Amino acid sequence: MRKTVILVLGVVCVVLFYFTFVTADKVFRSDWQMPQTSDHKQAKYRLVLITQELGTSFWDKVGSGALEEAQRAGASIQVWGSYSKNQEDFLKKIEIAIDSKVDGIIVQGLDSDEFKNLTKIKAAFYGIPIITVANDVPMAESLRRTYVGSDQFMAGQMIAKQLLSDMGTEGTVILMGDSRQEDYQQQRMNGIHDVLKQYPKVHMEYAETLDTSEQVMATTKDLMNRLPEVDAFIAVNANITGAMIQEIGKRSQVEPYHIYSFDDSPETLSLLKQGKLDGMIEQSPETMGRISVNLMIKWLSGETVPLDTDGYLTDIRMLKATEAR
Amino acid sequence: MNSIQKKIWTLAAVVLFIMVAIWTTLTYYNQKTQNQYNDILQRYLRLNEVTSASQQTTTALYNYLLTPTEDNLDQLNLSKEKTRKAKIEVIDLRNTENDFTLTNYMNLIDSLVETTDRSLMLQSEKETEDSAKTFTEATRISKYISDMTLTLLDTDLKTYDRFYRGIIEQSAELKKLGVWLLLLITSLLLLFTYWFSLSITRPILKLTQAAKELSRGRFDLQIEVESNDEISFLAKMFDRMRININNLISEIQQKAQLEKELQQNKLLLQESQLRSLQSQINPHFLFNTLNTLSKKAYLEGSEETSDLLVSVADLLRYNLKRLDRSVTLYEEVKVLRQYIEIQRARFTERLQFYSEIDEACLHVQIPGLTLQPIVENAVIHAVEPEENGGAIWFRIVDSGEWVTIEFEDDGPGMTELKIKQILEEHLVETEGHSTGIGFSNVVRRLRLFYGLEDVIGIESGSGRGTKVILKIPKIRGSEKYDKAPDRG
Repeated sequence: MRKTVILVLGVVCVVLFYFTFVTADKVFRSDWQMPQTSDHKQAKYRLVLITQELGTSFWDKVGSGALEEAQRAGASIQVWGSYSKNQEDFLKKIEIAIDSKVDGIIVQGLDSDEFKNLTKIKAAFYGIPIITVANDVPMAESLRRTYVGSDQFMAGQMIAKQLLSDMGTEGTVILMGDSRQEDYQQQRMNGIHDVLKQYPKVHMEYAETLDTSEQVMATTKDLMNRLPEVDAFIAVNANITGAMIQEIGKRSQVEPYHIYSFDDSPETLSLLKQGKLDGMIEQSPETMGRISVNLMIKWLSGETVPLDTDGYLTDIRMLKATEAR
Repeated sequence: MNSIQKKIWTLAAVVLFIMVAIWTTLTYYNQKTQNQYNDILQRYLRLNEVTSASQQTTTALYNYLLTPTEDNLDQLNLSKEKTRKAKIEVIDLRNTENDFTLTNYMNLIDSLVETTDRSLMLQSEKETEDSAKTFTEATRISKYISDMTLTLLDTDLKTYDRFYRGIIEQSAELKKLGVWLLLLITSLLLLFTYWFSLSITRPILKLTQAAKELSRGRFDLQIEVESNDEISFLAKMFDRMRININNLISEIQQKAQLEKELQQNKLLLQESQLRSLQSQINPHFLFNTLNTLSKKAYLEGSEETSDLLVSVADLLRYNLKRLDRSVTLYEEVKVLRQYIEIQRARFTERLQFYSEIDEACLHVQIPGLTLQPIVENAVIHAVEPEENGGAIWFRIVDSGEWVTIEFEDDGPGMTELKIKQILEEHLVETEGHSTGIGFSNVVRRLRLFYGLEDVIGIESGSGRGTKVILKIPKIRGSEKYDKAPDRG
């Protein structure tokens, strides 16, 4: 009896002891220490990459390239920006970056007065270097240090040449662009003109539209009504491609038309894969990101002064639907 | 000496220790948690302070631009100072996650202060339009600061998410710990108390049982108490008492035994004395007559008859005198010879008596009239009934610590039953003994005298003769026979 009582109590004690110990261990284990207050040396340069089109695969690639390069070089970089071309937000981000006195700003060029005002006056006032990436704004207007991205003029030429080889030297081409008339769009247009003007039998029709899909569709409809014999479409601004093709598809088969665009829009690649797009210019976003950061660091450290004001051009190539599939 | 008081103190100390340990741990833990809570709150408060300070600055700036009084300027300077202080405090909030944003944040604050200064400067230079523009910028920056405060808070929430969840989990665990601890301490105390009370009550129980046994009169059970306190001492004393009582009782029993033996001895003596008294009148007369007869026979020239009569007379005298006291073996042997003389005269050639005596043994003490009755017995049973008589061998041999006295005859022997009767002292026969003392009487007296059971042995069988062996110790173990009252 006595032995049993002691044994039972002993076992109970051992069991309780185990549970108490386990719980106490959980309570007192200090694995929930506050995150370490950073003692490590701050990065040498604080850079910001700002874009209007966050979340697109093109800019994701630019961002990842930039991050990679920054990490390698020991600089810290953050990707800021607005979604779906929200200019107000975008400009605000630039202003914050300037007011935050970052060491360098890598920005997607925007051909607007506010943008130029910010870069030319405010950034210059604070002495913050600006590099445009992917889309350029002429140096005279923005005081940018340099441009990193594709040669948009050459891209226009390439697309025109491709058009000629697909369609022949005869036919009607509709060029459609954003009514904002940004610099890079203009460059492309110039490139296309530069090639096509040598072929008088190629009839070019240029149309501008706002970039809302209703507007794009309306413009497309209107153009097709006016020019029923059209053979080819070139979406000079990649963002209008989707709506344009959708409208064409409503009226007839998409396949007979030669449709070309650029890759800086999330839709174009999938359209190309579906075969609705006959070809697009593929740029090198990752290289852009990498080179821009690299150049910015070189500039900040005084290694390469001055930077080539004409810009550092990255590779472009023609991606055809037949290859993509 | 481990006392009960010490045990109680130990128990109290253990309980106290457990309580103090728990209290200390919990207090320490509580302190730690509170510090962490304070740190967290501090973060938010500091961030909030920056926002409000920056807003205050812009408001003050606005007021000053509107009405540039000294008061408003002081107000503005005050809030600027406040903003600067807030900025310095924010530096502590830096961690790996918000490093970049925090630097931006601090620069924004700087920008705000700078812009404010610039606006003031422009105001003092009367460039009102530019000043207003700068003010707008300051307002914007202040808004950015608020925005970034939110961003920082958001980052903080993300960074500390695991941490906050940890705190919640831990508080839940703490509740559980409380329950477990309560249960554990309860059962530990139960165990301790049980063990402790057992260590006190168990010895007491044993002691109680022992006392019960004693009261029932069982003094032979040893009292064992496994304990290391006063009760063990008590038990030891109790045990000693038991042993003492036991010893006293056995002493009393021994004394009673002795008393009984003494009583028996007395009875035997009385019987013997009665017998001798019965025959005392005759013997005295006979003794005198025998003496007269002896002298007469001597005078008449019959010397042999005279000697015989003297022997008879001596024997008689010896009989009358020596019954209740010890004599030496020498005297006994002498009497035995006289007796044989007499019997020779009676049986002539029919009685052959051979004796081998170790003279060195004759000093041994022996009760009176022991040898003669045995020889007489032999004569009666081995010589008298036989037509051709018989032979009796008598030996006294020294055998170390003992003196062995042997009587051997070649008579018809005894049956087993008879031997047993004799050795068990049953009084059976009193057929015509000259001394009136039977074999059994001798046996009894010998045993009483030496306090030994095996002082006498009988070897016999039908037709084999009888051999009586007495083993007399040279040194008597007991002197009690001597102390018996002399009734000679």
